[in-house]
Amino acid sequence: MGELGWFAIDFLQALITGLLVGGTYALMCVGLGMIFGVMRVVNFAQGDFLMLGMYAAYYVATALGVMAVLGPYVGPVMAGLLAGPAVFVVGWLLHRFLIGRVTGVAAVGAEAEGHYAQIILTLGIALVLQNGGLILFGSLPLSIPTPMSRESWEIWEFLVNQARTVSFGVAIVVALLLYAFLKRTPLGKSMRAAADNPEAALYMGIDVDRCHRTAFALGCAITAIAGGLIASTQSFQPYIGFDFVITMYAGVVLGGLGSILGAFWGGMTIGLVQQLSALMLPFQLQNTAIFVVFLLIIFFRPHGMFGRSAERT
Amino acid sequence: MLRIESLEVAYGGLRALDGVSIEVAQGQFVAVVGPNGAGKTTLFRAISGTVSPAGGRISYDGHDLLALPAARRAHMGIAHVPEGRQMFPSMTVFENLEMGAYTDAGRARWRETLELVFQLFPVLQERKGQLAGTLSGGEQQMLAIGRGLASAPRLLMLDEPSMGLAPAVADTIFERIQQIHREHGITVLLVEQRVAEALESCDLGYVLETGHVVMQGTHDALIADERVKKAYLGL
Repeated sequence: MGELGWFAIDFLQALITGLLVGGTYALMCVGLGMIFGVMRVVNFAQGDFLMLGMYAAYYVATALGVMAVLGPYVGPVMAGLLAGPAVFVVGWLLHRFLIGRVTGVAAVGAEAEGHYAQIILTLGIALVLQNGGLILFGSLPLSIPTPMSRESWEIWEFLVNQARTVSFGVAIVVALLLYAFLKRTPLGKSMRAAADNPEAALYMGIDVDRCHRTAFALGCAITAIAGGLIASTQSFQPYIGFDFVITMYAGVVLGGLGSILGAFWGGMTIGLVQQLSALMLPFQLQNTAIFVVFLLIIFFRPHGMFGRSAERT
Repeated sequence: MLRIESLEVAYGGLRALDGVSIEVAQGQFVAVVGPNGAGKTTLFRAISGTVSPAGGRISYDGHDLLALPAARRAHMGIAHVPEGRQMFPSMTVFENLEMGAYTDAGRARWRETLELVFQLFPVLQERKGQLAGTLSGGEQQMLAIGRGLASAPRLLMLDEPSMGLAPAVADTIFERIQQIHREHGITVLLVEQRVAEALESCDLGYVLETGHVVMQGTHDALIADERVKKAYLGL
């Protein structure tokens, strides 16, 4: 096989890995995109909900004995999924007692529609979660011990990591379930209506604050599931949210702010670019590559891949 | 049915409504007319709860409306068709109508009201799969009214339904509103700048100027009034 042949194989290998990694990135972006799309709140704490999801999955898998019961293969996946409901409760309470006071109906008429208060508040929550995590979980990096993360399926010339593949599959299923929820169920539709036009939604009798609370908790839970899935492929510590929050925002903006479908493809793009860039660039420049692609897409499509080109009516 | 007593609304220091009293009886067609900035939209927002009054009372079927959160008011049988149509632009025409039927009454009578809406505005049936944001102004207004009807309301509140529409389209809209009132027994509260059209179809009219009711009366009395003729009807 010639030079070109090897490059083609490397390229396809990076493409496969990129898609697999992109699946979980897409899911975490969907969580963030959902919160921004429905509430128009810039949530700086989203990376830390990812971190909470990782620890929730870790403790569900180990301390709660889910891995002991379900085994080292099904156990981590189940633990990753269970991180969702755990963080959902956290998100729900945070909205009920803190976020809800500076968003939605409460923010009407506030200075800059409450955005100043929201930014300070979510930044504060992020700091509390990071340092609280340090106190509660310690600074030692952890990861969910599953043999899947080291084992790969060998398909023709390519290595397909088992943990990543399973995470990818689960992430896609969760994203599809969320999509069906938003498209088909009355609660999901009312959330889209509240996102589109909160004032009109109120006139329809839709409880906009309840929609916001559901969206916030669900957005946190979705990102936490992504975190729970990532927790079996890489190690983490309480400050890991910071590594992810920037790429998460890049993904959401890339896809088009406010579009949940866009957030999905934005996240997927980030995963692909990160892996493909490793073919040509040193590892340290991965994030640089992401932002170069980010700038290019935003340059040619300022509203992102799925953003509305027209202003809302 | 709806009784508004000395309602006061202030934005900062500005009094948008200053002691406005209006009454709407079951089955009536009541029009509130007046120039831009008279406080007509503010009146509707106070009824729907997106603006909190500084004083006064609003009762609906004997209930104190101001004590109810905004989101509950639609469930009492009040449909607010807001100024500027306020679509859900990224949802389809059909989904917009479904959102209108979010109330229990709307859900219970969904098939019936959907048929009525499509019969009143056949173009909505043709475009039911289209995104609401892509409709023309007239179609959006039809959808806004259809969405209001979908909640199976007892009181339909229409805020400037003719705004920004070509005269012919506005005429169709007014005809449909009359039809809704006459044939389907829905109480209508209409706010309009097009005074002639609004007064033509009403049982009772109020003239609102800079936050005050300056005139009120029956259809015949207002049409015959010299001041109304001069100021609004251009006669």
